[in-house]
Amino acid sequence: MTTIIETRDLVMQFPGTLALDRLDVTIPAGVTGLVGANGAGKTTLISLALGLLKPTTGSIRVLDLDPTTQGPELRAQIGYGPERNLLPDDLRAYDFVRHLAEVKGLPRDEARTRASDSLYLVGLGEERFRALGTMSTGQRQRVKLAQAIAADPRFIVLDEPTDGLDPVQRDEMLNIIVQINRSFGIDVMLSSHVLEEVERICDNVVALDEGRLVAQGSMVELAGASGGIELELVDVADRPTAIDDVVASIVAAGATVERAGFVLTVGGRADAELFDVAGAAVARAGARLRRLGQRRRTLDDLFIGAQGPGGEGDALPPLVDGTAT
Amino acid sequence: MNGAPVPTAPPPERGAASIVARGFQRYDGERSGVGGAIRSVAWQSIRATLGIGRAGRNKVFPVISVAISYIPAIVFIGIAVLVPSGITDGPTYAEYYGFITAAIVLFAALVAPEVLVSDRRNGMLALYLSTPLHRGTYLASKVLAVAATLGLVTLGPPILVLLGYTFDGSGPDGLRNWLVVLARIVLSGVAISAALTSISMAASCLTDRRAFAAIGVVLLVLASPILASALVDGAELSANWRLLDVFSMPFELVFRIFGERGNFPEVSTAAVVAVNAAWTAAGLAVVVWRYSRFVISR
Repeated sequence: MTTIIETRDLVMQFPGTLALDRLDVTIPAGVTGLVGANGAGKTTLISLALGLLKPTTGSIRVLDLDPTTQGPELRAQIGYGPERNLLPDDLRAYDFVRHLAEVKGLPRDEARTRASDSLYLVGLGEERFRALGTMSTGQRQRVKLAQAIAADPRFIVLDEPTDGLDPVQRDEMLNIIVQINRSFGIDVMLSSHVLEEVERICDNVVALDEGRLVAQGSMVELAGASGGIELELVDVADRPTAIDDVVASIVAAGATVERAGFVLTVGGRADAELFDVAGAAVARAGARLRRLGQRRRTLDDLFIGAQGPGGEGDALPPLVDGTAT
Repeated sequence: MNGAPVPTAPPPERGAASIVARGFQRYDGERSGVGGAIRSVAWQSIRATLGIGRAGRNKVFPVISVAISYIPAIVFIGIAVLVPSGITDGPTYAEYYGFITAAIVLFAALVAPEVLVSDRRNGMLALYLSTPLHRGTYLASKVLAVAATLGLVTLGPPILVLLGYTFDGSGPDGLRNWLVVLARIVLSGVAISAALTSISMAASCLTDRRAFAAIGVVLLVLASPILASALVDGAELSANWRLLDVFSMPFELVFRIFGERGNFPEVSTAAVVAVNAAWTAAGLAVVVWRYSRFVISR
């Protein structure tokens, strides 16, 4: 499998702040989500990958090149969409994208053509001659994506590409990012603090917290099925104790139950047996079932588990390469 | 009609037609590398400075500055053409700069802040540094842009005067002399541009406000002659204290390039050359030092 980014014992120390702490990360081809709260070290890792910063210690290789010594060669193959929403207001979107395509080495005629093509791809074909200062946040995010892909990079890095977007715009942006990867084979790393969108489109995930690696691996490994089942019940007016009765029946059958409102998470036995136990309990109590299925672990679980109730990481051990350690 | 068959194009073979796909595609052609990136950034900076491709209000100041620097040239050429006897009273090529000093300084105060400060304020610096450029090559492109733009007012007008005088028949005698004058004009323009580029870029890297940078350049250029004059004329110190005069020394160098003694004949030519070189080097050193310390993280 092609490796896009590989770090070994990577440390980035700013005055008074340890931004990255001995980070060992391997990011394969595909769409990779770089997740973590603000201050987790996502932007620092991106800056190191682009060669904008030099690591304090340790090493980082991107596309098998060293950003600190082979920066120009590397950056010619990378597209970058920064987090900051600052853009030159009086420049037209087309001129902005064309210019950056030229800076990345495309001949003038090719840059002109590809600037238009990129803006069409991100849905701004009709708006391409508008000044950036007159565009909405969503349109400016698309312009940043267009300039990142215009020079046909092998790999694009998008720092919070859905920041400031409403749900509809966010969906559209995520769909475009997936299309860029699936249709054109451009690998993507996007940073985000919204776990749901990473779960939705990413093949791989790297999770950081306070500069440390929380988890990395494929989305299937990290946020796939886990033990247990989950059922959601409906409140029935003439049977106010129905849910309590279901819980009691399940416990009496030797399974464990965690209740959160109308949602029960059931475990303690084999999944196939749990379906039977839960079905029988619901029928016996005369409860109404809205949803029944295998429990899936989410990135939220991963983070909560890794940090633990007190942030000590005692609920779920950190996962590295998809394996509990 | 003679009944001969009319030649017609053969019918297209099945499958010969094709739909030319438009839209985003992969690119595997040549790339221009760092050199192309420097040229592109420099050209874009020149366009931005002159207001090309920008709203009309951005063109006003550059157009006025450039016009001010060319108007004397047009006037002198007009005088030479219309009043031939008056040409003997016209300025020398070195003296010509005296008529456009204000325009040049004003232009210098405008150009570098536009070229450098804007990139830091509108996020372009981080984007540029995510391309094949690094800090050094980025600054090289900016130096190129500022110097080339300043060349518009430091080189253009005297060259126009030379051409005007030449077509009027009152220019230098013979090709050799003509080329010597041209070389001196180019050297003078480059020297003034280098000194002012360096000084204005140094001011521009110390603040994130274009107006502050422009005011800083103007104040430095205006205050230094007062200081130098106070030291030499008021405190009666050595004439070499004139070298602190940032405003006058680049133009004093022009006199020396043309073999004239200039406004401060008591200062040696070597000292004038050295101080211009020193101002240029010092300004660029401040720029390099400052940019080496910027943390570009997004």
